[in-house]
Amino acid sequence: MADPLSGPAPLATPAAPTHRSGGSPPALRVEGLRKTYGDGFTAVSGLDLEIPDGAFFGLLGPNGAGKTTLIGSVCNIVRPTAGRLSVFGHDHRSRQARGLLGLAAQEINVDRFLSIRQILIYHAGYHGIGRKAAARRADELLALFRLDDKAGQRAYELSGGMQRRLVLARALMHHPRLLILDEPTAGVDVELRSEIWRVVKGLNAAGTTILLTTHYLEEAETLCDEIALLRAGRIVDRGSSASLRERYAARDISEVYDRVITAEGVAS
Amino acid sequence: MSSTGRPALPAYDEPFRAERSPFLWLLEREVLRFLTIWRYSVVGPVLSTMLFVVVFGSALGSHVDTIDGVGYGSFIVPGLFAQAIVNVGFFNGTTSLFEARRDRYINDVFASPLRWWEINAALVGGGIARGAVVGAGVLAVALPLTHGGTPARPLVLLFGTLGLLLVAAQVGVIAGAHAKSLDHVYSMESIILLPLGFLGGVFYSVHQLPPFWDTLSHLDPVFWLVQVERIGFLGQGDVGAGWALAVVWTLAAALTAWSATLFATGRLKP
Repeated sequence: MADPLSGPAPLATPAAPTHRSGGSPPALRVEGLRKTYGDGFTAVSGLDLEIPDGAFFGLLGPNGAGKTTLIGSVCNIVRPTAGRLSVFGHDHRSRQARGLLGLAAQEINVDRFLSIRQILIYHAGYHGIGRKAAARRADELLALFRLDDKAGQRAYELSGGMQRRLVLARALMHHPRLLILDEPTAGVDVELRSEIWRVVKGLNAAGTTILLTTHYLEEAETLCDEIALLRAGRIVDRGSSASLRERYAARDISEVYDRVITAEGVAS
Repeated sequence: MSSTGRPALPAYDEPFRAERSPFLWLLEREVLRFLTIWRYSVVGPVLSTMLFVVVFGSALGSHVDTIDGVGYGSFIVPGLFAQAIVNVGFFNGTTSLFEARRDRYINDVFASPLRWWEINAALVGGGIARGAVVGAGVLAVALPLTHGGTPARPLVLLFGTLGLLLVAAQVGVIAGAHAKSLDHVYSMESIILLPLGFLGGVFYSVHQLPPFWDTLSHLDPVFWLVQVERIGFLGQGDVGAGWALAVVWTLAAALTAWSATLFATGRLKP
């Protein structure tokens, strides 16, 4: 198996599809997802989505389109009003499904009482990993993300870029098979962004399914082998970046996005 | 970022197996949290209770008649013990859970294989552990100062204290689940908890009050928590041991059901 964390994975190279064959269930299947919050606001309505095992899948849409609600529903943070969600064939609420999922959230949501090494170790613990294995894995990821010299510090003592790396490291602690990245490069500099993508592309090459949300459309176009466009809680179109460009006679995904999301948003 | 090796992906068709219980990890985290801030979480409550014992028990106690044949210092220790545990249970639950919600760190826990009741139990377990540590500290300091001896009714004390610890921890978790800001947490403490504590008979026997207030005191949950401890330590209180234990454990069961409902139904929100 290829070492997922080694070798260059430049943004300029389009990602080759890595979907697995052999009858494995989809990494994520969402059927008829609806979420209406207590104040009556429906964030997601009748959403269907299937992401194959091994895909690098992009989810694009404006703020409020329902991306975070969808991710929250998959990760058991939001309780859906209706619909069925499964992760590798397991009900998303099951322990099997949760164990296969990793989430790097948009915000820096880390435990302020623990050192960054402890943050990683306890996260592994919540996934049932033993103490020694958790410590070994934490040291491995601290080194990978160049946080090893900060291991004893609290997260709030780190720079924004380091905090972002910490959140990603935490999501990888338990070797998730489906990694959800919710705007992982928001607010990070160009150098760190390319470092993050190199790691993530390596993981995908080794078989990890990636679900990515980002506002950087060129990143989605370059990295993802399939993209879904989400607007007002519904998937309005999906396909490879090439097929979407062709369908909308667009030069790039930004133009597709403008036509599908912005224009329809204005029209509606 | 440097490179490192990585084992194969986990199989998708194998059941979840834990090398170590996720519940134990979260419980350990809850205990570690308050031990990390031990000056605030343990020493502070013990010290403030000791000041009550010194000022009210030793300095002013010599000017107060015995209550039901018990010296004033010894009389107030069980109530101060109960009040200290209620206070730390409240603050443990509110700070731990409220801050986990505010910082959205709780999402990492919700997304993990931990089951709702394990999360609930670990948070409550943390409050119980902190209450037990602070309670032991209070007794270690207060009993020598008041020349306290062996508990008069050890079984009442044991089951009463277990109920007290559970009530206090559940109150904290429920308050932490509902709190919307730190101001909200502190106002709950000053508007609800503090008056209930002072009116709960920590410093007096409710039989010393006019009949109306005596009766009204029985509606104060803290009154029953104080009574069960006083009966356990001193062998006497304003109510019978059976009633005190029954009320405390009914309260504990009701709060446990309330707390469990919050977690089970997904009403706990960041």
